[in-house]
Amino acid sequence: MSRDELQELAAGYALGSLDAEDRGRFEALLRGGDEAARRALRQYEETLVRVAAERPESPPPDVKAALLARISATPRAGNGARVMPLTPRPRRSVWTVVLAGAMAAGIAAIAVGLAVSSRYERRLEALGQEAQTLKAELERQASVLAILRDPATQMVALSGLAPSPGARARMLWHEKAGGILVAAGLPPAPPGKAYQLWAIAGQAAPVPAGVFSVDAGGTGSLRVQPLPGVTRVDVFAVTLEPERGVPAPTGAMYLAGKSA
Amino acid sequence: MHEGHRVSAAADLIAGIARGDRGDFERFYDAYAALAFGLIRRILRDPEAAKEVLQEVFWQIWRDAPSYDPSRGSPEAWLVMRAKTRAIDKLRSIRRREQTFVAPVDERVAAAVGTRADDPGLAAEDRGLAQGALEQLPGPQRRAIELAFLEGLTQSEIAAKLGEPLGTVKTRIRLGLERLRAVFKVDDA
Repeated sequence: MSRDELQELAAGYALGSLDAEDRGRFEALLRGGDEAARRALRQYEETLVRVAAERPESPPPDVKAALLARISATPRAGNGARVMPLTPRPRRSVWTVVLAGAMAAGIAAIAVGLAVSSRYERRLEALGQEAQTLKAELERQASVLAILRDPATQMVALSGLAPSPGARARMLWHEKAGGILVAAGLPPAPPGKAYQLWAIAGQAAPVPAGVFSVDAGGTGSLRVQPLPGVTRVDVFAVTLEPERGVPAPTGAMYLAGKSA
Repeated sequence: MHEGHRVSAAADLIAGIARGDRGDFERFYDAYAALAFGLIRRILRDPEAAKEVLQEVFWQIWRDAPSYDPSRGSPEAWLVMRAKTRAIDKLRSIRRREQTFVAPVDERVAAAVGTRADDPGLAAEDRGLAQGALEQLPGPQRRAIELAFLEGLTQSEIAAKLGEPLGTVKTRIRLGLERLRAVFKVDDA
């Protein structure tokens, strides 16, 4: 990987703007202990701290009050759970032995409790991450559902052209909310290539609407953001292009469909 | 101010918070809440939403302080990255909510609230604030970084929005951040 490419990934990662595939690549570098990747990320993160620091804004005082109240009401697990030191008794009696036994049992219970609570803590953390992932997925589906529900949403069927006559796709399109393309039967794109969707209105130049890849079974989908300045689309088309996408189509057209 | 002192003072406070020291938590909040809140407000225009996010971020600081790893970066970076992530999450959920409620409404109603519904986030220039280093970047670099940092778009979303190739967007973001890094003289952190 070139230095520029590493810096590109680190910059995008610090901004939280990498697409899934690039994010996976950069996280793999971090996990692998790549020192150059870590250093580049630290530098860009510190840079963003300076950007933020140019515009500090004092928060209203009630935020701090609410936080302190929340902290007082919720003791942190593992905090303050110290075992009390035992003071030796001057005279041993049966009761001392019983008491010592009970205390030992108590200490053991506390120890087990702590171990269990730290295990639950980890489990909770894992569940929390799982919940985050599910939440993101749910939100994605909710946005898809919102498009589906809206009567203004159009559905456009795209048919396969010469390079892959068997391919099919459906485009759900809403001018304000964007849309979703689901394609099937496309050949997997060769290395360095990807499929690119175009929105075409009348005689105007095709507007790029995003790139996508397909799985081994030839199926792929693309969430399309609203296209600025595009109010009407007559034709959606898919061409094979360099994987980063191009501003105007250059490759063969695989799918096309007219909107009603 | 000596950089080293500042960083280690903040790191000491995080260590105190990790031990459950509420005094250290208060000191950390007093020193850094304005840093986090300034960024959150640049991302979210709704003051109530911004307050909610700030509280959530500092709650995370309290909860996660034991897992802070100084070798990964400064406490300020730890805080700012969390503030950014939570604010962007909030912005996305507001956008989705507005989209869900606004979209099915009659087109004219949607158009009337369009400007607000389209963009619950706010670009810096709209707030009439003084020019910072970000605003002094060349326009296309600044726009790409703002769309990522302040509006939470991914690089391919930025490319689609600006109608430019993804590769161009990636390069602009890198060059823009490089330039900012030079302006702020951030060396190996």
